[in-house]
Amino acid sequence: MISLPHFLIVGAVLFGLGLVGFLTRRNLITMFLCAEMMLQGVVLNFLAFGKYHGHLGGQIAALFIITVAACEAGLALAMFLAIYRRTKSLDSGVWQELREDRIPATVDTDPLPTFLEDPDPVLTPAGARPIRAEEEVRV
Amino acid sequence: MSDLDPAESALIALGLPLIASIVAALLGTAKLGKYAHWPVIVAFAAAAAVAAGAMLKLSGMTGESISASSASLTWFQAGSLSVTYSIALDPLSAIMLLTVTFVGTFIAIFSASYMHGDEGFARYFSIMALFVFAMLLLVTADNFLVLVAGWEGVGLCSYLLVGYYHAKPAAAAAARKAFLVTRLGDVGMILGIFLLWQLGGYRTDFNGMFEHIATHPDTHGQLTLACLLLFCGAVGKSAQMPLYVWLPDAMEGPTPVSALIHAATMVTAGVYLLARCAPLFVLAPDVQLIVSVIGGSTAFLAAFLAMAQNDLKRVLAYSTVSQLGFMFMALGTGGLIAPSLAVTAAVFHLFTHAFFKALLFLGSGSVMHAMGNVIDMRKFGGLRKVMPTTHLTFLAGSAALAGVPLLSGFWSKDQILDSILEAAASGGTYAGGYLIVLMVAMGTAGLTAFYTFRAYFLTFWGTERVPEEAHGHAHESPAMMTIPLIVLAVGAVAIGFAVEPLTHAFSDFLGRTPALVMANEIAKAPGGGHFDAHEHPHFNWAVAGISSAVALLGVFLAFRVYGNGGPEQVPDGLHGVYTLSRNKLYVDEIYYAAIVKPAELLATAGRQIDQFFAVLVRLVGSVPEFIGAAVRPMQNGLVQFYGLGMVLGLGVVLAVVILRSTR
Repeated sequence: MISLPHFLIVGAVLFGLGLVGFLTRRNLITMFLCAEMMLQGVVLNFLAFGKYHGHLGGQIAALFIITVAACEAGLALAMFLAIYRRTKSLDSGVWQELREDRIPATVDTDPLPTFLEDPDPVLTPAGARPIRAEEEVRV
Repeated sequence: MSDLDPAESALIALGLPLIASIVAALLGTAKLGKYAHWPVIVAFAAAAAVAAGAMLKLSGMTGESISASSASLTWFQAGSLSVTYSIALDPLSAIMLLTVTFVGTFIAIFSASYMHGDEGFARYFSIMALFVFAMLLLVTADNFLVLVAGWEGVGLCSYLLVGYYHAKPAAAAAARKAFLVTRLGDVGMILGIFLLWQLGGYRTDFNGMFEHIATHPDTHGQLTLACLLLFCGAVGKSAQMPLYVWLPDAMEGPTPVSALIHAATMVTAGVYLLARCAPLFVLAPDVQLIVSVIGGSTAFLAAFLAMAQNDLKRVLAYSTVSQLGFMFMALGTGGLIAPSLAVTAAVFHLFTHAFFKALLFLGSGSVMHAMGNVIDMRKFGGLRKVMPTTHLTFLAGSAALAGVPLLSGFWSKDQILDSILEAAASGGTYAGGYLIVLMVAMGTAGLTAFYTFRAYFLTFWGTERVPEEAHGHAHESPAMMTIPLIVLAVGAVAIGFAVEPLTHAFSDFLGRTPALVMANEIAKAPGGGHFDAHEHPHFNWAVAGISSAVALLGVFLAFRVYGNGGPEQVPDGLHGVYTLSRNKLYVDEIYYAAIVKPAELLATAGRQIDQFFAVLVRLVGSVPEFIGAAVRPMQNGLVQFYGLGMVLGLGVVLAVVILRSTR
């Protein structure tokens, strides 16, 4: 018989894993996924308590959280994309500009690799190439 | 022009200098500065013509008192107080209007030549026109607020003109001194005006206010206080003791400015104010005695100081202070004698003084022009041959100032002495005081003749000496400078005789000023002063004889001592007196030690206290700063670090919750 503590334990494990991941990883996308995992742990708690008490409040809260998480995902991924375009890196440690005045930047002794060589992915062109007249380019 | 209402003429005369000032300023910005004198001269001359027309029109009016006032625009209104822009022309203001514009015209013509080629030419003429405008506003105002506007305008323009050579530290200091010292008096005057509003039932027009005050006798001595405060303003503006110190320093401005300040536009304002407020001062006999005594002591002190000055312009400056003292002596007699008589004597002297003092200043300007801006009488002498026109006109001015019989100054000074004598003989409460004033006045008249002719002899007699600064081409000034001198000299010689002694035209005309008629009535009413009924000046042979004798004695003494011209010899036994006089009785030093120094000490102490509190406040302010500095490194911009912070915070909260629930 699966009882309330089982749910709660699974929720807590999810939350804990997410938390540890969030604090230990520096890749923004991984951090984001960890945060999502923490959210799911919480959602599980809501659902478990909702079932335990026998009413729909938990499920409603879960729906809300899922909606919010979706919005957050859209927003966060868009921001990561913008950040990546500017620094060619997904390292959260690269972004320290919001620190207090006159506080030296923390120097990263082991930075994540940046992909300066690697351009944004480009779709392979399909179909025939347009035929261009070879013209002298005048400077 | 003849069909103009006098009040409209006054408005036109008022507007012309203002327009000229603006046009001159615009010419200056349009790089046409060298033509800036034209609008000013034309405007002054036109204003003088308009003023003369208005005066004729006014004197043609019938009635015991004559005046004309313009339609008034409301300036502001507060409760029962309503202030309007209103202009009124009565004989008193008409005389002032004509004097200011007429003398101003010739000073402007003189300046055009004197200031030629100066880089601030347009600025000079613009401010000069504004100066005259402010003075005209002052004399035509029909209520105290408009008067104060003119009064302050005059103060501002004098500041600007005295400090005309603003790059020169002495000029800047003199301008500041003039402004601040007159401001001391102005404070009193403003307070006096506030008090008068209250006493005058919040009526603002002069005659209405005077009437209200006359019909509602005050019982608490407030009127005396108000009159005293008004007199403070006059003391500041008209350079009386103890605030006369700014006027001699005002010599730092260009010489025609001195002529303007001394003859027409500034120092006469105080005399005008007291003349205008005669109905009030009649009701305050205590103040009247103070006015006379201050006037007398100023006249004597200034004459004493003028006696040994080496700077020609300073001699003239002190003589102005002294002559203004004479005017105040006369003003102070109103009440014991018919107020109209007292005011006539003062204003008549003001009128003749305007001519000969403008003449003397312009003459000294002419000398200065020829001598390469040297004005120290020790450095030149014997200029009789070099500058014949200047010499003769200066002689005319000196003789008029000294009170040589039949010249302008003689008639007006005589009237003043006569009114003081009558006040002393009136048997009023303070008659004894006036007797002393009379003796001081007589002595001062002698001193006046002495110092004036000392300056004259030192400058024009003896062997010819010209300073090096003139570069060997000392010459008579151009016609544009000598013509104003000649015109003013004619005025200085003849104007007094022309308008008063035979026809009494001046006193009759002035006596019809509504304020003076009212003052006479107040003084005649029971409880007012006690004076013989006659309200017309009469020629007193004894006074005239004594004053002429004293004046001629002064001239003779000056001739005996200085007839050979320079270099100056100090009469034996008078070295101490001369040293005192030359050092201005150490008044500036005393003022510095008694007023400026303590004020500076106070300011220093205040600054120290201020800094103490500033340190205290900074100390309190630094506490949060330190805390901030301590915790600032936490804001390092690393997301993980913040996340860790949150987790730790969560841990603490959880720990507390768990501990509390298990206990």
